[in-house]
Amino acid sequence: MIKRNDIILGVVALLVALAFYLFFSLTKSDGSKVEITVQGEVYETLELSQDQSFLITLENGEYNTVVIEDGYVRMSEADCPDKLCVKHNKIHYNHETIVCLPHKVVVEIVNGEANTVDLIAK
Amino acid sequence: MKTKKIAVFGVLIALAFVLSYIESLIPIPVPIPGIKLGLANLVVMTGLYLVGEKEAFVLSLVRILLVSFTFGSPSTFLFSFAGGVLSCLCMILLKRSNLFGMTGVSIAGGIAHNVGQILIAMLIVHNVMMVYYLPFLLISGVLTGFAIGLVGSLIIGNLKKYHVMQGKGR
Amino acid sequence: MRKKIGTIALVVSLILSMTACAPSEKRYEASFLELFDTVTTVVGYAKDEETFTEYTQMIYDYMEEYHQLYDIYHDYEGINNIKTINDNAGILPVKVDQKIIDLLLESKEIEKITNHKMNVAYGAVLKVWHDYRTEGIESPEMAKLPPLEMLREMSEHTNMNEIVINEEESTVFLSDPEMSLDVGAIAKGYATEMTANYIEEQGFENGMISVGGNVRTIGHKVGEGGEALAWNVGIQNPEVESEMTTIHILELQDMSLVTSGVYERYYTVDGKQYHHIIDPSTLLPSEEYQSVSIVCQDSGRADAFSTAVFNMSLEEGKQLIESQKDTEAFWILNDGSFVYSSGFEQFIKE
Repeated sequence: MIKRNDIILGVVALLVALAFYLFFSLTKSDGSKVEITVQGEVYETLELSQDQSFLITLENGEYNTVVIEDGYVRMSEADCPDKLCVKHNKIHYNHETIVCLPHKVVVEIVNGEANTVDLIAK
Repeated sequence: MKTKKIAVFGVLIALAFVLSYIESLIPIPVPIPGIKLGLANLVVMTGLYLVGEKEAFVLSLVRILLVSFTFGSPSTFLFSFAGGVLSCLCMILLKRSNLFGMTGVSIAGGIAHNVGQILIAMLIVHNVMMVYYLPFLLISGVLTGFAIGLVGSLIIGNLKKYHVMQGKGR
Repeated sequence: MRKKIGTIALVVSLILSMTACAPSEKRYEASFLELFDTVTTVVGYAKDEETFTEYTQMIYDYMEEYHQLYDIYHDYEGINNIKTINDNAGILPVKVDQKIIDLLLESKEIEKITNHKMNVAYGAVLKVWHDYRTEGIESPEMAKLPPLEMLREMSEHTNMNEIVINEEESTVFLSDPEMSLDVGAIAKGYATEMTANYIEEQGFENGMISVGGNVRTIGHKVGEGGEALAWNVGIQNPEVESEMTTIHILELQDMSLVTSGVYERYYTVDGKQYHHIIDPSTLLPSEEYQSVSIVCQDSGRADAFSTAVFNMSLEEGKQLIESQKDTEAFWILNDGSFVYSSGFEQFIKE
């Protein structure tokens, strides 16, 4: 019912799978990150693949809330006066940023998927 | 003899159809596209060993068409088509080589099915990253192929005992 | 899955760079928030991060000087800037850096070309709007519109001819004591242009400088195989909350793209948004368009024209743009429809 060749075929396939797996895991980079800087200093680095809501609190008690969802990042809330950061489109591609100028908060995608757009005029 | 062949063929198609439906009800615990139990492959295998290569191939195509039109969408058709055809061709080749038993043929069929699906998926979404699924697809192909092959050889052994296709030259 | 995406991209690009003639320079990007009250982004190629950081520092230092000279709100020790000129309006001529004189001469020139639709002498009117807007943003429930009489009164003190520039003495004097300068419509773009020219001379051949979305491209983008490509610069969708970030992507080399839009800076009074681009003829925010984009080489011109054209009727704006060499414009009207100047579409990436 089971020939020797059948077993060999199965084992070889499993070995190939293992080889591929090892190759992929060894060459794996760290993946896309979300870098949050406040006043030019790195405040926190998050994984783009990890859905979460993250609160940034400034020394004077002001805050921004960053939400990561399905590989996209947006500013869900902030107590800055202009709220331009909250209205900003969600970002996903490498080097895209959301800036809250009044709070000097910058949320940037690092090591991410390349975008076709190099910069945006606004 | 011809009538009998048609009857058996019809029964096999019906079986494959029902098994595809049953399979769609079984949830797969791993979130990887392309992985399937391959219950319907059991029937294709049976057809291959009991009726013939051409018939098994046609059986596989008819099943895919039926299932896609009944439960699926155009895109599921593409996926199952690629998987089904590749798997069927692979099994025919391996059977012809006479090097492998039913289990081996089934394993190859399982792997080919998964790989075929992922290849089409890569083409459609233009995403090379899906190649990362490959190891998992290989492993699952080996496992399900092994199981289906075992069950299949039991079934065919029994069917042959009852001379279902008696007189068939092949 | 997403996590793994970087790997293959990396692998692929490595392979590509090995097969093609390997580009020896890598792409870097840096930004800072300190200048012109906005985000400055520098993109460019350098052989290593250290070299790129040096260039960025040079850009920062060079631009900081402009930032201080063109500031109308702050004093800087040992520097006579535009605020100093404003503070001395009607009192005495102020000795200033040549960079201020050059900016004002260019502004006068553009004011003539644009039929007074871009006027740096409107400081008095703009200050009223600025104060009401700042207050309205800080306490939205108290937001008010400036009274028209007040705006009209201030607009009496906006005559360009009252700016007395003495090039020999390097002095600027505002002969109307009520008058003040506001160079907001041109300063960022002008400084960007000067900085781009400067950094190019320093050997920074390919890159981009964006000062608050005033984008100036330098040279070209370097493809994966080292080939020269145009920079891809997007035009912001005025619907900032939309899924679609950009309206068009333009392919630019050694060109500037500046967009003036209603979404940039505004405040809300009784549910209606009032943005910051004030039409000199009505003294109110111009309500003709959602945004106007200008493409031309000189970033200072692009900046000033984007404001001027924003304040013009479509007819008048088209006429101005078509009369200017190598200058193109793109309007997004209030109903969302697009209007292009005759040569604009050649820049749009397929």
